[in-house]
Amino acid sequence: MNAAWLPLTALATSLLVVVIIFALPEEARRLRTTINLVAAVVKIILVMLMVRRVAAGHEDIFSFQVIGGVDFVLRSDALGVMFAGLSSLLWLCTTVYAIGYLEGSANRKRFFGFFSLCVASTIGIALADNLFTFLIFYEMLTLSTYPLVVHNGTQKALDAGRVYLRYTLSAGVVLLLGAVLLYTLTGDQSFSSEEGLGDYLNDHRGLLTLIFALLVGGLAVKAAMVPLHGWLPRAMVAPAPVSALLHAVAVVKAGAFGILRVVYDLFGIELSVELGVITVLAVAASITIIYGSLRAIAQEELKPRLAFSTVSQVSYVILGIGIFGPFGTVGALAHLLHQGLMKVTLFFCAGNYAEELGIHRIDEMDGAGKRMPLTSIAFTIGALGMIGLPPVAGFITKWYLGVGAIQAGMYWIVAVLVASSTLNAIYFLPIVHRLWFRLGPSHGKGSWPKEQRLGRLETHGWLLWPMVFTALVSLGAGLFAGLPFSPLDWAARVANGEYLP
Amino acid sequence: MMTLLLALALLWPLGVAGYTLWNAYRRPATQRGYFSLLWLSAVWPALLLAYAGEAHWTINAWMLGGEWELNSLSRPWLAFTALLWGLAAFHAKGYFAAEQAKAQAGDQDAQRRLLRLALLWPLTLLGNVLLIIAQDIASFYLGFALMTFAAYALVVHSGSDEARLGAKAYLILAVVGEGLILGGFLWAAGEADTLTLQGVREGILVAEHGSWMAALLCLGFGVKAGVIGLHVWLPLAHPVAPAPASAVLSGAMIKAGLLGWISVLPLGSEQVSEPLAQFGNTMLIAGLAAAFGAALYGVFQRHPKAVLAYSSISQMGMMTALVAMGLVAPEVWPLLWPGLVLFAAHHALAKGSLFMGTSISEHLPRWPLPLIWALLALPGISLAGAIGAGMVSKWGVKSPLYEMHHESLIKLLSWAAVGTAALVSVALWRQWQQRHKGGSNPEQWGAWLVAIVAALLTPLWLPLPAGSIEMPPMKEWLGIVWPFPVGVLFAAIGWLLTRPLKGKTLPAGDLWWLYAGVVSAMLVPIQAFGHGCGRLKSASVVTAQKAEETLMGHITRLLSGESWLRHHTSGLMMVLAVLLAALLMWEGQR
Repeated sequence: MNAAWLPLTALATSLLVVVIIFALPEEARRLRTTINLVAAVVKIILVMLMVRRVAAGHEDIFSFQVIGGVDFVLRSDALGVMFAGLSSLLWLCTTVYAIGYLEGSANRKRFFGFFSLCVASTIGIALADNLFTFLIFYEMLTLSTYPLVVHNGTQKALDAGRVYLRYTLSAGVVLLLGAVLLYTLTGDQSFSSEEGLGDYLNDHRGLLTLIFALLVGGLAVKAAMVPLHGWLPRAMVAPAPVSALLHAVAVVKAGAFGILRVVYDLFGIELSVELGVITVLAVAASITIIYGSLRAIAQEELKPRLAFSTVSQVSYVILGIGIFGPFGTVGALAHLLHQGLMKVTLFFCAGNYAEELGIHRIDEMDGAGKRMPLTSIAFTIGALGMIGLPPVAGFITKWYLGVGAIQAGMYWIVAVLVASSTLNAIYFLPIVHRLWFRLGPSHGKGSWPKEQRLGRLETHGWLLWPMVFTALVSLGAGLFAGLPFSPLDWAARVANGEYLP
Repeated sequence: MMTLLLALALLWPLGVAGYTLWNAYRRPATQRGYFSLLWLSAVWPALLLAYAGEAHWTINAWMLGGEWELNSLSRPWLAFTALLWGLAAFHAKGYFAAEQAKAQAGDQDAQRRLLRLALLWPLTLLGNVLLIIAQDIASFYLGFALMTFAAYALVVHSGSDEARLGAKAYLILAVVGEGLILGGFLWAAGEADTLTLQGVREGILVAEHGSWMAALLCLGFGVKAGVIGLHVWLPLAHPVAPAPASAVLSGAMIKAGLLGWISVLPLGSEQVSEPLAQFGNTMLIAGLAAAFGAALYGVFQRHPKAVLAYSSISQMGMMTALVAMGLVAPEVWPLLWPGLVLFAAHHALAKGSLFMGTSISEHLPRWPLPLIWALLALPGISLAGAIGAGMVSKWGVKSPLYEMHHESLIKLLSWAAVGTAALVSVALWRQWQQRHKGGSNPEQWGAWLVAIVAALLTPLWLPLPAGSIEMPPMKEWLGIVWPFPVGVLFAAIGWLLTRPLKGKTLPAGDLWWLYAGVVSAMLVPIQAFGHGCGRLKSASVVTAQKAEETLMGHITRLLSGESWLRHHTSGLMMVLAVLLAALLMWEGQR
């Protein structure tokens, strides 16, 4: 039985919200909030339904023909549902957070409208079953995030937005070129087709490599791989919930997810190995990992440091793709989720520090643990996870990547992983140390840059609870990785589908 | 029943940490006690667990698959670790009584420090317990990391400059160690496709590069165990940490490094390959070098706890050499390991009581001085092997080595014991010089006395396999006891010879200062390179902007061409029409 309505409704809930929000007047705060939250919860339920159906072996397809030979297809497969699950879970968290964060500020209608559109695009990206559908949502994502990045409207924000558009739109052109070349070669190529592009290998080796380079090159901009990462640290001027969404699931992850689709579902892993592009990916990812970590050490402000940390961490996913074998794939897929959970936590924390205490620079964080204990605990969990220390989720992925690298005979990757862990420790542990072991304004030394008492607890409840939730989930995903339907379990399920016939 | 105890052993410390937080949150600072009976009891379930018998648990949902076990090795290990933690906790209650009084009087600094310590102490303990019972890599690594990082608070407690330096050295080396361990584990486990320590042991044995994996893991754990070259944090961190923290650091936590070695190295296996045996030899030499080098350097220290830290390095060096024998001469290992465990347990309790003793000599109770110094000396004498459990443990490692004819190693170990004796005498002498009157309370000296008794009677309570340890026969006593008087004599002679130096001493932390110099020298070119890159980047940005400007200039000029076109539209149209007409005519004529 094909429940075609399921992927369609999952997509439609967010899109419908966009329409409703833009139709509502700016002042209808309560109604907008309610609609947003209800839609987010409904979407989680829908994705859970999809998860159940995929686990039972059903893949629901919705499709219609746009013009001859070009179809619009949505399909819920294991990989897509994984990304959709991350997207819908974090949508709820970031929406709750954004409601608290934007309390009383202007242009909330615009913000939430584009916020929902952005999430709708990620769902579309997750469920797209061919390159055409994927591209539509991928470009929609680019355009819907621009108003979010420049939301503050300051000159700095506008500059950052321009840089962002330059990077992503030119990448979109490159991607489109690759897609067109592929269509001229093969016609409509579904992500779910069994044979992949293996048949074309003998006659079109050079062309296939070119197409791969164009597609991955275009996607790598969003995935912020060095040297195409320049937009990401600048986009930090966006409000905290946007940064959280951008770094955890929307833009950066969309790029990484696109590369996953291209390698595993479009080209097929055997063909990619045959073309020799896998190793190139692994090397490029390693360079990004090390470079991002090194740059992160040099940052003096919290959000740019987290941004460079994202540059480094997202490439773990690419690194996992570059490791041939089930372990590498599991590592890549699990990190897609783990990094999202941990990074969203860290950005929530950064936002809380900025909102409650006005902290932007790292040297202002001395002793903040006493003033904001829950936020600081969440930050510590996220930071330890990024370093890759057990029991936080980051350890699980690091483990799978390392073991996969050894089994694929790529010993140097272990060195990269160890170096990256050490570098992560070098730029995260000092922050943790400042939070808990230094004396600061809460001990009567100096004062916070701009302290507000936003709530009865350490800060506004809407800002606090999403962060606590994601921190707990990051911890749980590592501590109970062996449970069914944990990120690791689901990643293993997807990887089994790739490698076992 | 065992499972219940296990759950208690792991959850109880966690609960205690939670209670400490709750307590700090609920109760006003003026009535807050940080070291309640509940806090003291954090380790008791673990101690009970060690004596409850052997057991095995498999928990699939736990991380990568949990595999926990109490076996003939982990039971005694857990027993001595838990006992030491328990005694140190009691000692801490007394040790921090004055600070707690200050905190209750409203000193915010003291409140902060005590809360931090009271919170992270049970967590450190939890890590230590978990790593002992863990048989799978993930749990072991979790326990190890938790213990390592939580212990930072124990080292940095006083917050002075020296404490921060010691804690910094501790943390930097810990991060280096964690990296090495991760690399080693990934390599070994990836090669053997395993998730358990058992699998790692087997994997290292058969792998082509087994000796390199072993080297990575050994260096990683060696940071904890104070292997020579990576030992520099010990003499920096121990003197600054509070006495009970030094006791568990030196007694229990550095033993975790030793346990790590025993867990990952294929000790006592018949098929040890040539490179692995070679590696064992290197380890043997490194161990002996640490045993002698630390003794030679340590006797010149001024701070009694620095002397004791060097003694720990020296003792761990001996244990390193014994572990290495498991690779060099696998056939002795089955006989040797109970002796090694006894050695480790005895050292843990003896060193623990020596460290607790430093707090006694700083706050002397109103007892006759000779009695106090006799008591202070007892664990030291035992450590040198002259009395009690020290003698038994010396014999425990000596007799298997005799049986397998490794006389030269025995001789070297005996001479290393001379170093131990010298170090202990120097430590006592330094304590005598720096003694202070008054202030010991019952918990402080009570825990210390119990630790001394436990150290002297280690073989009686340690749950080792039956019959694996026996008393040395009378005729061997002289061979075991002689290093002690010789060591004391050496110390006395050394003292006489160095008197003209007027108390000038070598800095604690020896190689640390060398490393710090080398690293800061290395940073200079790296910084220069970074600045160069920055300049290169800004230069290329400028170039790119210029190129863009030129390009845009050209495009703008094209646009101005457009206005010229607009101006002359009619004329151009005419020209075009004429041209077209001419073309048509030419076409028609053909």
